[in-house]
Amino acid sequence: MNGGDLLKNTITGFRPDILLRNPVLFVTEISMILSLFAYIFHGFFNLPFSASYQEFYISVFILLFLTIFFANLGYSISERQSRSIVESLQKFRKESTANLLRDGEITLVKSSVLRRGDVVIVNRNEDIPMDGEIIEGNGYVSESNITGESRPVLKVLGDSVTGSTKLLTDTLKVRITSDPGETFIDKMIELVRKSSREKTPNEIALTVLLSGFTLIFLMVVSVLYTETGYIGISPNIVFLVVLFICLIPTTIGSLLTAIGIASVNRMSGFNIMAKSGRAVENAGDIDTIILDKTGTITMGDREAKKFYPAPSISLEDFAKFCILTSRDDQTREGMSILKNARKIIGEVDDSEYRNFKFIPFSAETKYSGLVSDTGYIVKGSLRSLEERFGIKDQYIEGICKEISSRGGTAIPLARNGKFLGVIEMSDMLKPGIKERLDLLKKMQIKTIMCTGDDEITAREISAEAGIDEFVSNSTPEDKFNVVVREKAKSRMVAMVGDGTNDAPALARADVGLAMNSGTPAAKDAANMIDLDNDPTKLIDVIFIGKQILITRGALTTFSFANDLSKYFVILPAVFASFSFLGFLNILDLTNPLLAITSALIFNTFIIVFLIPMALKGVRFKPSSVQELLKRNILVYGVGGIIMPFIAIKLIYMALASVGVVW
Amino acid sequence: MNADSSGGGYFWTNFFLNNRIVSGSLIIIIYLAVASIFAYIIYPFVAKIYRGERTFLSPVSDAAIRLSEKILGPLAKKEMRFTEYFGVLLAFSFLAGIIAFIFLYYQTVIPVIAGGTRLGTSLTFNTVVSFLTNTDLQHYSSPMQLSYFSQTFVIMGLMFLSPVIAFAASMAFVRGVLTDSGNLGNFFRDFIRSLTELFIPMTFVVTVLLILSGIPETLNHSLLVQIPFTNANEVLPLGPVSSWNAIETVGTNGGGFYSANLAFPLADPNWFTNIVMFVSLTVIPLSSLLAMGRVFGNRKFGTMLFYVVMTIFIFTAFLTFFSEYAGIPALSGLGTIFTGNMAGKETGLGIAQSTILNVGSTMTSTGAVNSALIDYTPTGMLGVLTGLLLNDPLGGDGTSVMNIFMFVIFTAFLVSLMVGKLPEVLGIKLESKEIRYSTLTIISHPIMILIPLGITLLITGITAGFVNSHAQNITTVLYEFASSASNNGSEIGGFNTSSLFFNYTDGALMLLGRYLLMGLELLIAQSFAVKKARGESVNAIQLGSFNFGMMMMFVIIFMGILSFFPVLVLGPLFSFAKDFNLGVLIP
Repeated sequence: MNGGDLLKNTITGFRPDILLRNPVLFVTEISMILSLFAYIFHGFFNLPFSASYQEFYISVFILLFLTIFFANLGYSISERQSRSIVESLQKFRKESTANLLRDGEITLVKSSVLRRGDVVIVNRNEDIPMDGEIIEGNGYVSESNITGESRPVLKVLGDSVTGSTKLLTDTLKVRITSDPGETFIDKMIELVRKSSREKTPNEIALTVLLSGFTLIFLMVVSVLYTETGYIGISPNIVFLVVLFICLIPTTIGSLLTAIGIASVNRMSGFNIMAKSGRAVENAGDIDTIILDKTGTITMGDREAKKFYPAPSISLEDFAKFCILTSRDDQTREGMSILKNARKIIGEVDDSEYRNFKFIPFSAETKYSGLVSDTGYIVKGSLRSLEERFGIKDQYIEGICKEISSRGGTAIPLARNGKFLGVIEMSDMLKPGIKERLDLLKKMQIKTIMCTGDDEITAREISAEAGIDEFVSNSTPEDKFNVVVREKAKSRMVAMVGDGTNDAPALARADVGLAMNSGTPAAKDAANMIDLDNDPTKLIDVIFIGKQILITRGALTTFSFANDLSKYFVILPAVFASFSFLGFLNILDLTNPLLAITSALIFNTFIIVFLIPMALKGVRFKPSSVQELLKRNILVYGVGGIIMPFIAIKLIYMALASVGVVW
Repeated sequence: MNADSSGGGYFWTNFFLNNRIVSGSLIIIIYLAVASIFAYIIYPFVAKIYRGERTFLSPVSDAAIRLSEKILGPLAKKEMRFTEYFGVLLAFSFLAGIIAFIFLYYQTVIPVIAGGTRLGTSLTFNTVVSFLTNTDLQHYSSPMQLSYFSQTFVIMGLMFLSPVIAFAASMAFVRGVLTDSGNLGNFFRDFIRSLTELFIPMTFVVTVLLILSGIPETLNHSLLVQIPFTNANEVLPLGPVSSWNAIETVGTNGGGFYSANLAFPLADPNWFTNIVMFVSLTVIPLSSLLAMGRVFGNRKFGTMLFYVVMTIFIFTAFLTFFSEYAGIPALSGLGTIFTGNMAGKETGLGIAQSTILNVGSTMTSTGAVNSALIDYTPTGMLGVLTGLLLNDPLGGDGTSVMNIFMFVIFTAFLVSLMVGKLPEVLGIKLESKEIRYSTLTIISHPIMILIPLGITLLITGITAGFVNSHAQNITTVLYEFASSASNNGSEIGGFNTSSLFFNYTDGALMLLGRYLLMGLELLIAQSFAVKKARGESVNAIQLGSFNFGMMMMFVIIFMGILSFFPVLVLGPLFSFAKDFNLGVLIP
């Protein structure tokens, strides 16, 4: 949509049937027509008639026109933003060919005929035809077209892949998880479109409030008309129309819709897909955040940094066992161990372990390795090995403790009742995470870190990053329990998750952010999905959620606070014939027509100044609720009372100085 | 005035006693302090009633409840939802109203108890509605118009009923907030508990105090007195004045036994009766607000409500007091020693004691007056009027809790948005439904006043018989409708209120002001009743905090200013500007 379209939309917005949806703007339009009527048929309402009055009437008309114009403009800009997002998304919804695997045979079909449950083979340099889940193989996928991130992402067994992204290496077997029209991109387009139509409960409540006030002001001005008639002066009806327009909350009324659309747009800008506007608002209310350690607080790409063999075992032997336990391991840790162990001892002879079966890592058991009827070689957390296999070794424990106290993760290896040694996995705090957690602390949001690591590592990391509470040796059920526990304290809980195990907790939390790379179950349970797979973005989500609410609240307060000054400007002008009411004229505006015009100019152009605020959201300093309240009452409440007095006086003086004499 | 010659130790005597602005201010502070002390004493008791806990009077109410269960059957036991509770409340009120209407309308012809003069349909309607809705606007001109039976049984009966009905409704409201069972309780049980445990004992105590202090309590209709010197025979109207005054104030009713209300010397003879009645008309509303703290387990919340209302109270009390003390230039400039605007005030009470009771009675929904409002200065009137325009910030028995809660919800909504939280009250998330109803409740009050005001001023015939200037007429009409819509019943006078137009308009306003608001408020309670109030989370906006209280007071006052400023400019402020010669009138 170009500039011309923008203008066209803004003008079409004048259609009464469209404006009717917004009562505040609708009455503004009626008033606009009324003032034009007064200009043309000046004798009609017994209106005073002179050259200056004619100029006044036409300027009221122009200013009211501009009021609606600016209101429509704010809406059109936000509409345009969301439309351009939709358009860029639609580009990715392209048709491709897929290798459908059915009854062991591969057939070439169009991607649009794929249904949920179909299995396809994706070869190197092919597009993934539809959203799905990897059931075999692993490979690097470029998701640059949806996330903008050019670095390819490693996708392993169980990860979900998005349609229209491109596989760069290897071959994958993918089970399709959505029907046409329900894919990820389809949902995203639908969401952005919906945001301009669907109102959140808060928006509805605010609309009711604004309509209520509009009704009161209609009464106030009507009664003013009969009163002035009773007291013996015939009031200029255009004065009363202007008073009415100035009183009704035109600012917030005209920007309300734009604020809602803009917030969803901003979320999309952050590459976060919120499933509803309500989820965005919920995010602003979060009291507790549950974060994973790995990947969120720490870098997560854990690397095998150092190998500590037990005293009786040589480094080469230890490396050999490391390779054996990790050769079939698809976890990132496993791959890193394999890679670094191979540097020590190239290939290993695995003939005696042919009959061993590989047990993959799981969050419950916390170990992986080779197991047979006669023996086992496993690696895992110290506690799980000790408990599962009933072995104990003070030397190994000592090394583990030391590694933990450095913030690293220790992975001991055990073979047939004996510890072989420890692998030190290094993990670093993500750059900037501490500062972000500090912001949360300032907003009095409690952070809870869940980690499968032992207590010492967990304590070390949480102290370093500034986490309030941690759950060590945690299982996915623990996460769910933490959510339930916090919710019982009537706190609003947000959490990040990606595994199928996280789904119950994600569903239970008020805000569940799933990673795009996560399993379909997790993505289904969550109410937001992050395309960039960056869990720290939960913090941005909270910011945007807060911002949208604050923007609405601040503008509403500001709008009503403004009304006081308008009484003190317009009423003295209406009652100019009663000189003893001059004590109301605290701004000392001697020319009634000019005073009223100044008030209307302020009322109109304040919208222009507030459009950027509505679209970008008000800036706010992360601080406690009480501090924020005090500050916003001062800025938007008290400031909203004082500011228009100064502004109107300045406009009046400016008008007078450029020689507008009525 | 020998203030200069008396040195040293006499300075403070002079300062406190002879300096009337200081002594008057002290009196007002003492009145408010005494009322607050009594509110603090009885609020734990009120909290018990709200929480449904047993009090030392529970055996009595238990007996009464058992009796009601025998008479009414299952209806008296049933846990009611909104429709049933409010339906029963309406039906009960309607039934009481019909009975009262019949007795009043036929009071001249019913055998044995006949008496009084015939009231027209409109006046009967107005009177019944007025006492049924706790307004007690008295459009009949003198108590002599009513038969002795009507006065003592019909009217006093309604005076007992109306506050108890409202208190029962507020019990249901509080229960709705507390519970998550979806039920609001049983109307009859609430009614009986508040009647037997709160209103009857309170009225009894106040009656005894008033009798002891010399207010008449007799079944004699009148007393013939021969005035010394002139030997003229005068008839002193008597009756159960003490008990009437007791329920008039305890029940925040405000209808006077005498047509001059408490301004009649026998009704409020001295400072003691005055302070007793001031305390009894403020104590239940004040203690109900404090009780909210204990009921919702958030002591600061109750204290916040108390301070918000007290601040408005103090402001209006002093506005009226200082205005009356200063008078208007036309009087104070006469050259004689000016002792304040004593016109229409009882000399035995003085300015401070007169103004504080009148302000107190518009801050609550009482409306009793002990001095003639028509003689007040424009700004003195403004102080009294403020209470009416803000829909009685302190409220009546029962309504105090519900009305202020609407502002709590409204403010919580605004404040939550301002800090980026989803709106919640006491741990209950607010949804658009609750905000819609609370907004409706808040805006319906100004709309109910402004619409009839605009119409009245448009029809020239209505205001033709008024005695005052145009600006004062606007004040008068505004006062009349504000008094009806807020169920207050305070009146300025200055025109014959018993006309068809005012009887029916006021009647309609009183009904709407009472039952529309109560209905909306109970609807909110119903939607709260399915959600559990879990108490504030640590991170929520603290309802008891200073900032929230300030914001709420700001919202209450700002709401009033936005709705009524133009009317006030042409009413009291117009007269004020004219009285003080703020400019030269150019016609």
